[in-house]
Amino acid sequence: MAHHADAKRALDERGYKGQLIRGDNPLKLFEKPVRDRIVESYYWKEQCFGLNAATILDRAIELNCIGGTYGVAQRPTPFLCLAFKLLQIVPDKEIILFYLEQEEYKYLRALAAFYIRLAWEKDNEVYTTLEPYLTDSRKLKRRTREGWALTYVDDFIDDLLLKSRVCATTLPKINPRLFLEDEDKLEPRVSALGEELEELDREDDEDGHSVESVLKPAEMNGHANGNGAVEEMSDEDMGEG
Amino acid sequence: MADRNGAYDTPGGGGGGGDTAFRRTWDRSEYAAKASARDQKIKDEGKLRYEASLAGKKYHARASTPPEGTHDTEARKQRLNVADLVGKQTIVVTGAGQGKRGKGAGFYCECCDLTYKDNLQFVEHLNSKAHLVAAGESGEVRRATLKDVHERFEYLKRKREEERSKEVVDLGARIEVAMEVEEREREEKRRKRNEKRRKTKDGLGVVEVKIENDGIIC
Repeated sequence: MAHHADAKRALDERGYKGQLIRGDNPLKLFEKPVRDRIVESYYWKEQCFGLNAATILDRAIELNCIGGTYGVAQRPTPFLCLAFKLLQIVPDKEIILFYLEQEEYKYLRALAAFYIRLAWEKDNEVYTTLEPYLTDSRKLKRRTREGWALTYVDDFIDDLLLKSRVCATTLPKINPRLFLEDEDKLEPRVSALGEELEELDREDDEDGHSVESVLKPAEMNGHANGNGAVEEMSDEDMGEG
Repeated sequence: MADRNGAYDTPGGGGGGGDTAFRRTWDRSEYAAKASARDQKIKDEGKLRYEASLAGKKYHARASTPPEGTHDTEARKQRLNVADLVGKQTIVVTGAGQGKRGKGAGFYCECCDLTYKDNLQFVEHLNSKAHLVAAGESGEVRRATLKDVHERFEYLKRKREEERSKEVVDLGARIEVAMEVEEREREEKRRKRNEKRRKTKDGLGVVEVKIENDGIIC
């Protein structure tokens, strides 16, 4: 069992015979201009040639930012090139879960989360796999079109679940969480804040003014809970990174 | 008596030296052998076609099998060394390269005897099918199993930790470590230089011209 060192065969429109994701060539999840930029970039040619699921770790642990394309010439970030490589390789599910579950390298975790959102077809699996990582509040460096931005792992995963365009790709549509809960495919979301969230709600209703909360840093996130109310915790504590 | 060499030839002759030394020469015997091998192949194929038509069947040419003894392609272990000759001046032998062929100024690929002026073209060549065949690689990568991934992860983690532990914070110790590393590098350079001197005649090395920042693309 072997896959090709380069993506040329896979990108060829004429006869793709490998694994299909959502009924089509996995590489087609990226748009044509982005695909072209990636394949013409020096990083792809030099460092992404001949990688397999094990050697890609060498490159992934050297990552120091996430992002799509940047600059006037729309250069792809190494993060994007490695995501493209993962789509070409289509590793096994257990390997991707390993990438996601390991704790040491946060950019590898971000890469795995990105891949999961793009490639996995069952919506409820995507939600159940990615939601536990909404407690991870480590800082990530994001390369934007013309500069840098600060974001967090949980913020990034939140974007993956809610936004439609992340890192120069249009994410494939998934059903919103409420829809899946109504269909009984998913349990209503249990926030990591748990009881403290309920207490806050109660106190809010009673006192009528915002409450100062003593929250453990590890449980901070600004995610919308199942009732649709966004809890703005980010004022006091910007997440220990 | 007029020299039999002709108006353009120097006494030394075109092959051995003189004005036309830069022109490419062909090894006639090699090409004669190639031609006869090709003729033989056509004859054999013709024979097979004839036999097939006698039997009433059509002859199908078998696709050539990939050459034996190719090993799997693997990712590059180190970055490509493109910048170490930047800013250095070297002298090139004139007849050494024709276009891409031969060793001229630029990035040289030994397996294929090609020179590229540009690191982007060079790396494209290194990824190309022609080069992989010349280097004996199959162009296919072995698929990794979960066990491979675990092992690689542990290995990388360990390597990082070792490097981190080697970093010494104390200034005195750092100076010593730096001196040791420098000493080692100097020894290496000295050794290499001596080897090169010994290899080439008259103790002078073969040098090439390299202009600063020639074709480095990142």
